[in-house]
Amino acid sequence: MAEQPDLPPASPAQRAASPAEIAAALLPRSLGVKVGILIAVTVMVIGGFVTYVLYARGVFEDTQRIALITDNAEGIAVGTDLTFAGFPIGRVRSIRLRDDGKVRIGVRVPVSEAKWLRESSIFVIEVPLVGAAKLRAFTANLQDAPLPDRAERPVLRGDTAQEIPRMVATLRAVLENVDKMTETGSSLEESLKNARAVTERMAGKHGVLGGVLGGEDQARKVIAAIDRANTLLASLGGVSLKMDSVLSKAEQRVFGQAGFVDETQKAVAQTNAILGEVRESLKRVDVILADAQTTAGNAKAASTDLGQLRAEVDASLRKLAGLIDEINRKWPFERDTKIKLP
Amino acid sequence: MAFGGEFIFRPRSWRRLLRFAGFATVAALSPSAYGPQARAVAVRQIYLTAWRILPGYLVVAAALSLLLIEVVVVSARRYGVAQYSLELVLRVLVLELVPLLTAMFVALRSGAAIGAEIALMSVRGELDDAEEAGASPLHAELVPRIAGAAMSVLSLTTLGCVIAVWLSYVVFYGFTPAGLPEFTRIVNNVFDGVELFVFGLKCALFGLAVATVPAATGLEAEPGVIKSLPAVVLGGLIKLFFAIVTIEVASLMVKYA
Repeated sequence: MAEQPDLPPASPAQRAASPAEIAAALLPRSLGVKVGILIAVTVMVIGGFVTYVLYARGVFEDTQRIALITDNAEGIAVGTDLTFAGFPIGRVRSIRLRDDGKVRIGVRVPVSEAKWLRESSIFVIEVPLVGAAKLRAFTANLQDAPLPDRAERPVLRGDTAQEIPRMVATLRAVLENVDKMTETGSSLEESLKNARAVTERMAGKHGVLGGVLGGEDQARKVIAAIDRANTLLASLGGVSLKMDSVLSKAEQRVFGQAGFVDETQKAVAQTNAILGEVRESLKRVDVILADAQTTAGNAKAASTDLGQLRAEVDASLRKLAGLIDEINRKWPFERDTKIKLP
Repeated sequence: MAFGGEFIFRPRSWRRLLRFAGFATVAALSPSAYGPQARAVAVRQIYLTAWRILPGYLVVAAALSLLLIEVVVVSARRYGVAQYSLELVLRVLVLELVPLLTAMFVALRSGAAIGAEIALMSVRGELDDAEEAGASPLHAELVPRIAGAAMSVLSLTTLGCVIAVWLSYVVFYGFTPAGLPEFTRIVNNVFDGVELFVFGLKCALFGLAVATVPAATGLEAEPGVIKSLPAVVLGGLIKLFFAIVTIEVASLMVKYA
């Protein structure tokens, strides 16, 4: 700005100075420079801030479009961030109700951030109890093919507020059960009482044994029984020692020189010899029996001849009987039936 | 003699004010209004309204910003919504409170002075003399002053907002550029297109109101009646506050209703 050349200096001689003229006279000469600096700084700051806001809005950056389809876009507004792993990577630019009753959420993602979105990415609207709804992207495998420009994806919805009534109902049932379990006279209380009695006994003189057996008397009996068993085991040790010596003696008698086994061996040898002799005798008997067989065969042939002889004798006798009969008939005097064999 | 508050309830006074404001705005925007003398008046007005009070204003703006940021941060943390506190600070402080504070500051510092000066000139009949001499008082004296005052309000608001934004960043992230990406994202959230337009319009209207309302009311002083001066100046200030509140409420209604 220029200096103020047209403002006349106050001259009391000519006329009375106006207040404005007096003020002007009191002003420093460099005020034009100062005001110029102020205005320049203001203009620069405004321009810088507008540029910064434009940069923040991604005006200088290429963006990729994604259309997210959902049944209910409640809580989502233009400007809502799309986050990946907690970092905002995109922004909702438009929300529109389609003719089929579904909501189309238009999201712009800068190309530099689009690498986080893949074909397999899942989009979720989360509605927390406090604060605005959140739009989140999950990508399981970053090696998948990148999400194409203007892709349409469905959105899942996780609403905390809708879960609460169901959760409260379930919780109430659980609390009622707990109440029943813990009320006076309930089985849980009885069990706890019993447990306390048992642990008290366990803490007594005979410890866990008393707790398990249910009293000091029984515990004492068991301890006495164990003592007796100990004594018994000691005497059993003596018995086994004696058994040892008996066994060693028996061994001496059975397996030692001229012992039972030795004699038995000799007896067996003798028996073997006797059996050999018996075998010889039996062979001779065999021969004798064969001879006897031959003899019997001869006797059989002889008996066959004897039969023939008897038949001939029979025939001769019958002829003789016939002859006698005839003689008798012819010789009636003599009634003597006695026949005299030749 | 009129009581100062009465000016609010005079429709004729408001009609005159609107006509004056419209005429002054058009005149201030036309380059032909700025001769060398008018330019000097404008520069003087900016110097008196903005440069002189700049240190005090920046200190007050910084102190108020720090106080408000701390209050918001602490209470947001207490209610478990700390992640929204920066956005809240930017919305409340930068978009609403700093422009309002600046308008009030300039109104108290310069609006009253302009009103009183114009009223005094009106009482003395200087404006009538100038008109008779063929020089329009609006062009010679008022338009540069109005333009200068409006420019001062705009300038102070800008610097105050920058201080508030910078303090917000420092309080939330410290002296490190690490928070810049998140800060940029939140700035993007807060200053979307409509928001920025309404903000700019509001600042311009504040400047215009601070410049024109006291001057227009000052013209209502009765010539030759010096006792009418206090009532006119007071009435101008009351009208100015009324106008500022109306602009603020209207901007809030546009944004949030």
